[in-house]
Amino acid sequence: MELARSPASLPAMDTEATLPSLLGRRLDRLRQAAGDGPAASAQLRRPLPPTNRAAALAADLGGSVRQASDGALVVVESVVELPLEVGRLLGLPFAPPAGAPLVCLDLETTGLGTGTGTLPFLVGIGTWQGSRLTVRQFVLPDHADERAFLAEVSAEVPSDACLVTYNGKSFDWPLLTTRFRLHRRAPPLPCAHLDLLPVARQLWRHRLENARLATVERGIGAVEREHDLPGALIPERYFAYLRQRRGALLREVLEHNRQDIVSLGLLLQVLAGQMSPVADRRAAQPGDLAGLARAYARRGRHEEALSCLEAALGSHHWRDGVTNGAAVHRRLCVERAFTLARLGRRTEALHAWQELAQRGGPGAALAWLRIAAHREHRQGDFDGALDACQHAADICSRARLWGRPLHAAERDLAHRSARLRRRARSARFRSAAAARTEMVRREVLPATA
Amino acid sequence: MRLYQPAGTLETLERLLDDPVVASSVVARRTLPAREAVCEPLPDWLDPRISAALRGRGIDALYAHQADALHSVRRGEDIVVVTPTASGKSLCYDLPVLQALADDPAARALYLFPTKALSQDQLAGFRELVAAAGLELQAAVYDGDTPAPIRSVIRSAGQVVVTNPDMLHSAILPHHTKWFQLFEQLRYVVLDEAHSYRGVFGSHVANVVRRLLRLCEHYGSRPQIVCCSATIGNPQALAETLTGRPMTVISRNGAPAGEKHIVVLNPPVLDQRLGVRAGPIGLARRAALAFLRAGRQTIVFGRSRVGVELLLSGLREALREGRGPLQRVRGYRGGYLPSERREVEAGLRSGDILGVVSTNALELGIDIGRLDVSVLAGYPGTIAGTWQQMGRSGRRQEASVALLVAGSGPIDQFVAAHPDYLFEASPEEARLDPTNLHVLLAHLRAATFELPFEADDNFCGQPTSDMLAFLAEEAHVRQADDGRWYWASENFPASEISLRVAAPENVVIIDVGGARPRVIGEVDLFSARTLVHDNAIYLHESRQYHVERLDWEERRAYVKPIDVDHYTQAELAVTLKPLETFVAAPAGAAERAHGEVMVSSLATIYKKLHLETHENLGWGRIHLPEIELHTTAYWLALEPAEFAAWRRDELDSALAGAGRALQTVGSVLLMSDPRDLGMVAQVRSPHAERPLIYLYDAVPGGVGLAVRLFERHAELLEAALDLVEACACSDGCPACTGPRAETGGTGKEAARRLLRQLNAVGGLSSAA
Repeated sequence: MELARSPASLPAMDTEATLPSLLGRRLDRLRQAAGDGPAASAQLRRPLPPTNRAAALAADLGGSVRQASDGALVVVESVVELPLEVGRLLGLPFAPPAGAPLVCLDLETTGLGTGTGTLPFLVGIGTWQGSRLTVRQFVLPDHADERAFLAEVSAEVPSDACLVTYNGKSFDWPLLTTRFRLHRRAPPLPCAHLDLLPVARQLWRHRLENARLATVERGIGAVEREHDLPGALIPERYFAYLRQRRGALLREVLEHNRQDIVSLGLLLQVLAGQMSPVADRRAAQPGDLAGLARAYARRGRHEEALSCLEAALGSHHWRDGVTNGAAVHRRLCVERAFTLARLGRRTEALHAWQELAQRGGPGAALAWLRIAAHREHRQGDFDGALDACQHAADICSRARLWGRPLHAAERDLAHRSARLRRRARSARFRSAAAARTEMVRREVLPATA
Repeated sequence: MRLYQPAGTLETLERLLDDPVVASSVVARRTLPAREAVCEPLPDWLDPRISAALRGRGIDALYAHQADALHSVRRGEDIVVVTPTASGKSLCYDLPVLQALADDPAARALYLFPTKALSQDQLAGFRELVAAAGLELQAAVYDGDTPAPIRSVIRSAGQVVVTNPDMLHSAILPHHTKWFQLFEQLRYVVLDEAHSYRGVFGSHVANVVRRLLRLCEHYGSRPQIVCCSATIGNPQALAETLTGRPMTVISRNGAPAGEKHIVVLNPPVLDQRLGVRAGPIGLARRAALAFLRAGRQTIVFGRSRVGVELLLSGLREALREGRGPLQRVRGYRGGYLPSERREVEAGLRSGDILGVVSTNALELGIDIGRLDVSVLAGYPGTIAGTWQQMGRSGRRQEASVALLVAGSGPIDQFVAAHPDYLFEASPEEARLDPTNLHVLLAHLRAATFELPFEADDNFCGQPTSDMLAFLAEEAHVRQADDGRWYWASENFPASEISLRVAAPENVVIIDVGGARPRVIGEVDLFSARTLVHDNAIYLHESRQYHVERLDWEERRAYVKPIDVDHYTQAELAVTLKPLETFVAAPAGAAERAHGEVMVSSLATIYKKLHLETHENLGWGRIHLPEIELHTTAYWLALEPAEFAAWRRDELDSALAGAGRALQTVGSVLLMSDPRDLGMVAQVRSPHAERPLIYLYDAVPGGVGLAVRLFERHAELLEAALDLVEACACSDGCPACTGPRAETGGTGKEAARRLLRQLNAVGGLSSAA
């Protein structure tokens, strides 16, 4: 009671001696009201000296202890054969900077929030030495060791490195930065950060049920995790470890994290293998390449987008059948035609549209409209354009009969044909006038001659 | 005679007071003399750009309180500025902040306002000043309405961040690492309208401020604090409790004011035996009309939303058909759209709007300029609130008028019977108790989430280890091997606390008798059990309604108009179990004490009573859940030997009546909402085996009312006796010992005897 400080107040309320005991009694009553007696407090343990708790954890996890002045931590190291030609990533729209060492990073935390009360207790780091990926996992034995923990993690992320994460731009990295800020230390500043989550969404999400890392790796790398610990159980595992000091509780968490790091490596491998500009992209799924093309196009790199689309149209996968193949193929053709037009290759674009138009089906309406546009604007052939519009109109009315009206095409068509009819009429009028002039000239001139 | 004719304010007042209906209701009239401005020159150390900006706006000198504030802050003191409404107190914090930012653009300031509307209002004013000074400053509101892309800019570059305690609590503090630029350089924290931080809300806010200061310490900053408060009895204690820092009080008001006439009116008694008076609305309307027709800018304050609407429609009805400035009278309350409210505020400032009917929404510092007349339909519940509302009228030069029309409730009637209390008594105190265990534990969780606690850390002046150990049992926190306490849960504790849950939810009363269901009013959850239980007869605006059904879960009562010859009265069985006595002291024929209690209340039965004869016509059961409350109480335990001569039934009604009087006086003394103070009288307490009167804090954990009652025991007893003796009723009324029906025919007399005996020093006199 702050007001009790004034002289008029009660002596009993502000003496230091009585308060804790009073508070203690009130807390006891709260305990009784909550239904659990003082038994709950029996779980208080004796603190362990830092070296011992780290050593015990290291023994349980098969790792080693790193001792620093402000704490100790456990490092668990493993190596996987996972060759990656970093150079092959370079031409990609989301390439790491040339020469920057790749550092895969993944956190396990005590929650999903990014507030200051969420603690990363496990940082997995993956780096390549030759063809081998070394996974180094830093485990926090106790809250008390966090300073030492952060110092070690910081040393793993040099300033010339490129981070590779999965959703790290919105979760892992901000959370780690928060921990550094909380300890009033400067967070490491890697020179680049490649977050593979948006990449996976662009390239692979179209054929997967979601974009979670495990789903993606299963979908593209054919890796099936066995006995993977569900992420939702991880926080409770760590709290249980803190209470019971049984490092074995964390084994599955470490395995989950190690898998995540390896998965990052695998995704990079797939990118370098199938998607690289120097690769034979025809080995890749056409839908994936369509995503890659869009990624290039978004950055204004239309030549590269075109080469992706052409590789997709020539993909080996067409032989074995592609899910929803006709639609994918049509979309690729449409994209290709648009890309050709963007590159100014009008004639080729026209051919591409003509091919689509000949093929019929839902894409043909759009193709006829593009052809109409070409005839109108490039060739000044209004009648030809109107003819193309008529084709498009036929397709639209058929689609309407089937109950699947093509709204965008119909709207385009309405404007375009109205304008074309107007222009055709005035063109006819002009040419008729010109013809009359010519006739008059022919008839009159000889007479005057 | 033309009804609508411009006239002077005072002239109109005199004419109004000549009206016999009004004249017979006047219980007090005072004139506050005009006050000259007290000015000091602009300090020479003020940045020339700021001085130039002030001069450009016609400010060549500062009012005394502004100058005092500026000098105090420059000396490094934390201050609380206490001045009336519209005295230019924003400058008290805007100037130091501007000066700091002019000296060092890296500096930061945080402004806290209790409402969003105030934030916007104050930011606009601040920006004008910044623009006039030609300074390049980033000042922005950060609240729930701030768009996401702008938020990150404000976090890193906002030099003045304007927000509210709720946003600070749930969005800024738990994410403090994203705000490190703010925390590292924070120079000033401004808490405006500090008097609104009282009760449970205030207890929460005090904890939020502690969390803020704790983080500042972590980031190596020590911001100075500037609080501003309306006139209350304990500004220093309030600000010190709120912030945990010693405070310098700045109260030398230098703003000028014209002469002010204050009239207190009490509507006539309708039923002497029952002590029933007419409501305040009729008289308030009559007064407001006189001033509106004279073209004087008038504000009318109603107690509730419904009251505001009734007053507004009444006024408009009377002004219809060319008999007054109909279109220039507007309403203003919480439910209106922000754009409508801004329009009304601007209209009042420009004079386009002549009259406004408002709830206390306009009591807070929204700028509406100065008006001629304020009419308060009902006592606002506190002296501070009264002065704030009356302060809405008050020109710098001309005379102004404030009218208070008392309602029929006990507190209103106390004020009407003791108008001196308004003018002379020490103003009330704003109460809060940051160490309320429920509040404290909730914020201790949030604070641990934000930053670990050292083993020997204090929070809110309390050692934390016991409480943290308690939280550890719930597995929210853990003590690590280094002895520090860390957050150890997946939960986000700030989301579990709402700072404003203090007011219990209301039950909405819906009239389903008409073609379309219509909301006619609302009652708080506790009263709902006795007022709108199934089959109750509910009185609303002098109409009877039958409660068809009370949907307890949905908080709705469905009623239909009815016309019957009886009313209902519910009985609330309140049992009170003392848990621990903190302090006890002898007090004459009794013992006074305060401590912790458990109050459980259950609505049991209702009686049907005849409207005129009050005879019992039947009864029914009420089926509603019991409500339990763990809180603090003050109690008076009567010495059985001293009261041996009393008959038991006599003592019973005396205790009930005296308890009512003590409760009324207690809530007046402590500036609390009357509903915040509960009362239980037991003629033979099962726990103490003696007669007892308990007054308890009606919120979980209490906000410290009980301990203050214990301290002000003598004052309380004296005032209670005074209330009973001064009351004009014959056998007890709602304004003193409660209606006759509650205490029996001799209740008032018995209560008077009891209070006299308790007031007698040393208990020398015994019962006759």
